[in-house]
Amino acid sequence: MIKVEHLTKNYQRVKRREGILGSVRTLFSAEYETTRAVDDISFHINEGELVGYIGPNGAGKSTSIKMLCGILVPTGGQIEVNGLVPHKNRMENARQIGAVFGQKTQLWWDVPVIESLRLFRDIYKVPEAQFKHNLNMFNDLLDLHEFQSTPVRQLSLGQRMRADMAAALLHNPRLLFLDEPMIGVDVVAKERLRTFIQKINREQKVTILLTTHDMGDIEKVCSRIMIIDHGHIVYDGNIDQMRNKYGTQRTLVVEFEEPIADFDAPHTTLVKSEGRKKWFAFNRFETSPSTLITYIGARFPILDLAVEEPEIEAIVRTIYQGSAGTAKVDGA
Amino acid sequence: MKLFWAFARQHFHATALYRVDFWLRVASTPILMYGTRWVWITLYTQRPGAFGVSLQQMVTYAVLSMAIENLFYTGPQYYMAQQARSGAIDADLLKPLDFHFHMLARSTGEMLFRIIVIALPAMLVGYFLFDLQLPATLQTGFLFVVAILLGYLVNFHLEFLLGSVALVTLEIHSIDWAFHATARFFSGQFVPLWLFPGVLGLLANILPFRSTFSTPLSIYTGVVTGGAVTEAIGFQMLWLILLFIISRWLWERVQARIVLQGG
Repeated sequence: MIKVEHLTKNYQRVKRREGILGSVRTLFSAEYETTRAVDDISFHINEGELVGYIGPNGAGKSTSIKMLCGILVPTGGQIEVNGLVPHKNRMENARQIGAVFGQKTQLWWDVPVIESLRLFRDIYKVPEAQFKHNLNMFNDLLDLHEFQSTPVRQLSLGQRMRADMAAALLHNPRLLFLDEPMIGVDVVAKERLRTFIQKINREQKVTILLTTHDMGDIEKVCSRIMIIDHGHIVYDGNIDQMRNKYGTQRTLVVEFEEPIADFDAPHTTLVKSEGRKKWFAFNRFETSPSTLITYIGARFPILDLAVEEPEIEAIVRTIYQGSAGTAKVDGA
Repeated sequence: MKLFWAFARQHFHATALYRVDFWLRVASTPILMYGTRWVWITLYTQRPGAFGVSLQQMVTYAVLSMAIENLFYTGPQYYMAQQARSGAIDADLLKPLDFHFHMLARSTGEMLFRIIVIALPAMLVGYFLFDLQLPATLQTGFLFVVAILLGYLVNFHLEFLLGSVALVTLEIHSIDWAFHATARFFSGQFVPLWLFPGVLGLLANILPFRSTFSTPLSIYTGVVTGGAVTEAIGFQMLWLILLFIISRWLWERVQARIVLQGG
């Protein structure tokens, strides 16, 4: 469905000079600096996949999505979306994809949602039967009818996201790009959007690329995760594998029957101690919970035990930190 | 065509939101019609025969020019500048639409809306209250409509070119102000071009701006007749073709810049 090979994107920006005199000089002779936003990335996405695309701000996520949409021309490398080269066939490509950018709406600000959708129908030449069918589906799954006659400017963020989602899917695209669709959306609305995304992926076989900062989205929705940082892809695989590879740190929480002075157990670090509870961090390749429990239980009476898995957020943080320092900024 | 109506429909909805603005516009048109008519009647009383046409023709010209005041300046350049500044131009490029055509559809939708809601009622008011004459023949009426449409298209392309520049500079107001002052002056909306002296008259005849008001109104009032009508419409077409080619050429370059720089 999507083939990306050695994709690179450089931005040229005018170097700003300080002060008024500097601004005036910029008018006459501008100096440019080149920033590499996407640096030699390659990946394939198959039909029907739901891929989480994550990375810190400025990592190159939006840039790569814009290139996949054909509204940005790559500096180097190849892209193919369902057999088309997006920037060479922008309009044809636009018909087979849908996109939601969380930061900006695609709907018209001043008109009711339903009017915007009707205009989308006319722009994408959606047959009337399909339009009706899809509207019904959106009513069922997104409760569109609750706010369909409200102008977009008056919608809450959650409603706007639902309306944008409906607009992006009206023409039955094979492929959906979601660029931070959950940004600023409350917990309840978020849950609905997640369910909706899963549903259209499973039932309508829409291939989805989702960027987000919310690891909950990734855990609950995605089968595969790609992590990009400083323009490089630093991880590509499923979530369990990522846990196995990077999430080696576990924490054993022990509650004792009575307060006990801090002590060390082999291959562990005591990370926290609070009343009768203590937290021991350990690497699961160096020791196991059972060994630890036996060791501690033989010394002190234990009331309760728990082993905490690392949060996915912590894992991703480790991966980001591991990839830091590979930043490339070329002066030009 | 369907898309033009779709955009027109959208304007009905958008306008419903800005009711005060809309009613002010509706109310100001008869006042302008009344005012210009009064000015010409006064001038004709002072200097009858100094203006080359009959008072009746002049009043029709003036009243009609106020009635169609809102048709031409649909302002795609504001939309373009705003989209560029907010970065929402991405959303426009994301749609399977040629951008130039998209802007034409938007503008035409807005023009259709203004014809139905403002210009036609204003013409009726003008007919019943302000001595607005009917065109001499049906054919004249038809040629007037043709000239209006061509004038609209010429002006749309001028505004589209402005907008294309605004996409790069992100600044529209000062250049737009200069454009409007020039366009209105040389369009013959307030002072008919045949009253322009010497070099100014020559300039007004060469520039594209007369396509909007002067050409359709001169045809309607019978100031321009016979072969001169064909000539005037040919002049509009010539400018339209030229501006169309320049618009496509410039837009290609602007779009290439946007997709290279990223908005």
